[in-house]
Amino acid sequence: MNVFSAIVLSGSLAAVAGVTLLRVAWGRPLRSAPLLFAAWALVAAGLVQGAWANGAWGLSIVSLSAMGAAFAVLALAIVTSKPGKDRPSERRANILPDGGGPLFIGRRIFTFLLAVPLAMAAALLIALAGRAVAGWSGWHEANANVLAIFLLPVCWAILAFALLMTSRRRFQAILLIVPATIGAGILWLGSVA
Amino acid sequence: MNLAIGKPTVRKALSAHAAIGLLAGAFLYLVCLTGTLIVFYEEWQRVEQPSAPEMAAVAPDVVQKAATNVLDAEKGKPRTTHLFVHLPVKALPRLTVTTDSQAFHIDRNGAIAGPEENSWSEFLLSLHYELNLPAIVGMTLVGILGVMIVALSISGVIAHPRIFRDAFRLRARGIGGAGLADWHNRLGVWTLPFALAIALTGAMIGLANIAGFGLATAFYKGDIEAAYAPIFGAEAEPDSTPAGIPDTAAALRHMVSDFPGAEPYYVIIHDPLTAGQHVQVIAHHPRRLIFGESYFFDAAGRFQGKAGLSDGETGQQFAASVYKLHFGNYAGLPVKIVYFLLGLALTVVVATGTSIWLGKRQRRGLDNFRLRNAWHGVVWGIPLVLAATFLARLILGNGAPLITIFWGLAALILGLSVALPAYLRLRPMLIVALTVTSLLSIATPLILHLLRV
Repeated sequence: MNVFSAIVLSGSLAAVAGVTLLRVAWGRPLRSAPLLFAAWALVAAGLVQGAWANGAWGLSIVSLSAMGAAFAVLALAIVTSKPGKDRPSERRANILPDGGGPLFIGRRIFTFLLAVPLAMAAALLIALAGRAVAGWSGWHEANANVLAIFLLPVCWAILAFALLMTSRRRFQAILLIVPATIGAGILWLGSVA
Repeated sequence: MNLAIGKPTVRKALSAHAAIGLLAGAFLYLVCLTGTLIVFYEEWQRVEQPSAPEMAAVAPDVVQKAATNVLDAEKGKPRTTHLFVHLPVKALPRLTVTTDSQAFHIDRNGAIAGPEENSWSEFLLSLHYELNLPAIVGMTLVGILGVMIVALSISGVIAHPRIFRDAFRLRARGIGGAGLADWHNRLGVWTLPFALAIALTGAMIGLANIAGFGLATAFYKGDIEAAYAPIFGAEAEPDSTPAGIPDTAAALRHMVSDFPGAEPYYVIIHDPLTAGQHVQVIAHHPRRLIFGESYFFDAAGRFQGKAGLSDGETGQQFAASVYKLHFGNYAGLPVKIVYFLLGLALTVVVATGTSIWLGKRQRRGLDNFRLRNAWHGVVWGIPLVLAATFLARLILGNGAPLITIFWGLAALILGLSVALPAYLRLRPMLIVALTVTSLLSIATPLILHLLRV
């Protein structure tokens, strides 16, 4: 085992210890700030070790170890779980009316159009504007292009979520039009410069 | 300072979470399930065609001989634009040569051993990658599903303010929906980093066409290849003047002598048998997330340079790391097994999400048995149909019409799910059928092996 493998292993063990400590901290009747801090610090230290030793590869291995430890603890909970008597949460999602109310199909289709194709178009404009700004800032072409490829899904997901968090059409329009206009403006500036 | 999320925000986030989940649930389930299975892409190929010749390593001269033999076998066909040589690696210790129209397994001496027959593995990959649709449409749809998983992850965390505090509270045997909700939330929170990584990388791969089109339109006068050239390298200018077979053996020998740390796993001859041909060797770099580094050679096997995926611009390394991070093939079988288990957990999260919503409606006296049966049809029917396609491949052979079988049976099961009367309980029937088909899928390769012996 070379020194880097040893560091990744040590990072993985730290992350596993951190998750185990989290289980202890969250299992207490009263919140213990020092215990929680120690748990998160161990997880963070493990991730830093993984990243330091082998970059993204090390970070991935340590992350998988932490998730694996969490699932092992959950497996213990499954084995020791007793037949429950608790009533389930009855929080309503409020996406369909109870019994016979109108379904507002047209409104739903419009919301879909806002959150999927229009949000995608707005996200693409933001991503391309990001690419243009990165280019002006002296970024290498490869970095600038990859930034755009990364920004497209991230901005789209955030926009789709934000659009669904409000039912006011005016606010939804602002959420789409403002970033799309800024993005288009930046691209236009780039094309005339 | 109060960082607590207000009740109206939580309520809206729950609505958003449910709306996205219900809208995309069935396809998300299909993509998560196929993604979980495709982690073992190489292993499935070995199950499909156990008799193909295997070897731990191969000499450069054998690769040259293999390329020559396959190019000879191509005579009389339209000239192939590329020749791909898959070199033996630990996960798939086979030498395989693929052209535009055919693929062959090669033996240890470089002779053609027989055709490659991995139609089920390719079907599964295509189902996951593009829902068996034309590539641009299918990949984009799957990319959109990746975006939806990211949005579901964000809304899920905001909709459940105690999700981290309760991260280890699992009432596995909870009644009346409590257990189901716990399974959904616990698996959801602990697969969150995995789900985000898988979804974002999947969305980047799937939406590459849209991003590439946007980049090309805005910055490269419509040339999509030019948009990707700074990242992965550009294709050389073609020259169709006839030429001899390029020296791949020299290229591989150069790899051994000059790049001993790199592990070549793919050799690509671009425009073979033309004056414009050149050789690309893709090599793994151990303990890296990048899918490999591209090393370029001319037709005489002289080194020309590399793409820079291992040590070039950050963007290049980032883009090259997306694939292994998504498919989990960066640290051998242990990581593949972890990816399989996490993928399974994510599939359960998707399946239970809609079930929770249906359960709540049922408890409020708003049961719609057709909707409930349709969801059972998806959750139990899709794995059943996948197992049936695998069985069909084993029994009918490599030419089995897997796409027709899958989508035909899936439509039939969904149709029956909705049409069946309420007194016929669908879920137990589907579970029994799935169990029987899965057992047959496991037993059939063993029986076939015994028959061959």
